[in-house]
Amino acid sequence: MQALLSFDQAPPIAAPVRFLVTAPLFLAGLGVLLVLRGPEVFVSRWTGAALAATHLVTVGFLLQVMLGALIQILPVVAGAHVARPLALAAVVHGGLSLGGVALATAFLIGEPLLYGLAAVLLGGSVAVFLGVAGRTLYAVPTTSPTIGGLKLAFFALAVVAGLGVMLAGGLGFGWALPLADLADLHGGWGLGAWAGILLAALAYVVVPMFQLTPGYPLQPSKLFPRVLVAAMLSWTVAVAGAMPVVSRLAEGVAAATGIAFAVYTLNLQRKRRRARSDATFRLWQLGLVSMVVALAMAVATALFPNLSDRPGWTPLFAVLVGVGGYMSLVVGMMYKIVPFLAWLHLQNLAPGKSAPPINRFLPEHQAQRQAAVHGLAVLLLAVAAFFPEAGALPAGLAVLAAASWLELNLLTVLARYRQYRKDLVGQ
Amino acid sequence: MSHPKSSYVLDARFLEPPEPFVKTMEALDSLPEGARLLLLLYREPHPLYRVLDQNGYRYETEQVADGTFEILIWPA
Repeated sequence: MQALLSFDQAPPIAAPVRFLVTAPLFLAGLGVLLVLRGPEVFVSRWTGAALAATHLVTVGFLLQVMLGALIQILPVVAGAHVARPLALAAVVHGGLSLGGVALATAFLIGEPLLYGLAAVLLGGSVAVFLGVAGRTLYAVPTTSPTIGGLKLAFFALAVVAGLGVMLAGGLGFGWALPLADLADLHGGWGLGAWAGILLAALAYVVVPMFQLTPGYPLQPSKLFPRVLVAAMLSWTVAVAGAMPVVSRLAEGVAAATGIAFAVYTLNLQRKRRRARSDATFRLWQLGLVSMVVALAMAVATALFPNLSDRPGWTPLFAVLVGVGGYMSLVVGMMYKIVPFLAWLHLQNLAPGKSAPPINRFLPEHQAQRQAAVHGLAVLLLAVAAFFPEAGALPAGLAVLAAASWLELNLLTVLARYRQYRKDLVGQ
Repeated sequence: MSHPKSSYVLDARFLEPPEPFVKTMEALDSLPEGARLLLLLYREPHPLYRVLDQNGYRYETEQVADGTFEILIWPA
């Protein structure tokens, strides 16, 4: 059969790569912040340093990787071919990067204009992404739980961004808003609905594909995103209508749903057909276990709200969700997806020739060592949640090391991609 | 391996990429006239669909309860 391996009109590799190599820089920024102003990050969730740290992880790292990867993988997982992917990538990447810096700086120095700038840049980037990629996604029929999940995740992202812009108005320009309630909803929609559903929808594809496990059963896969969105909508209505019991119930249901997904995935991993435990497998285990613990804390907080006043409780929750949970899962996926994309592009560039095997793009031990440093960073951050004065500096240094190593690993894949491209097609 | 939908079955559920794609291409090349290939996967193979469209194949996909996608492929 002709056109043997030009099997996908995948966007140029430059489209996702710019996001992926920028994301670790924000993580390094978190490391520096912890080194310089560490104890402030852990003392309360409302300090400027804590808010900056949170958003360096969520906007600077997670959102950056997620949107960049989506531009690349929407055709593969959903058959949704985004028009002009390079132009979309340039606009969204520029807005996210500048917006991420503006937002972190706004939190640190409290300058109203920076809040405004961050809101325009980040809100604008998300709006452009949803306007282009979202429109393409919504145009494809929902033929799998992955596509259904992605559609709901995109809706959730619009809510997160809308709430974020309102909060920036509240903090920067004194808009009269219930900031604490809005911040809870913003975090819930962001980490629960948007990131949670996105990760699950992609996990339905990548966990069986790369870790050689059984698949996710059909009905629960369809149900999971719907239950999460229903819980988040109920939570939102309960906050708006001042119904604290309903609000806590919805929060508890959302967290319990997340636990069910994470435990199911851990169980799938036990049934994998691949004998060796590679970096992705280990990072996913760390990510899923961190998530289960964090979400159990969320259920406990919904039942006993006073728990959140205990020293260390809220920062530990943030560390376990953001760095132990989502970041581990995302980095684990990067170690499979980035070499795979490099291989795929080479194969497409030189039909009829064989690109080097995928595992040649990044030595496994290099990924394993970075994963180990990442795990150490999670542990030290968890310690720092309880002992900020003594713990912040070592945690910051570990985060800095994990970020630098991740960047080095990504650049290694790219350097080898360029080298192999030269060998294969002479350019 | 046989299946009610076809006696030509390629179970690619526990194969690492790009093996499922390569084996599907091989199986289609050696498919007897009038036969249909049933490909089993835990994901919907959108990139494969494009190649099938470009090469004059038709396909029908159904996801069953355990999450398996059953993709029945035949020459148009």
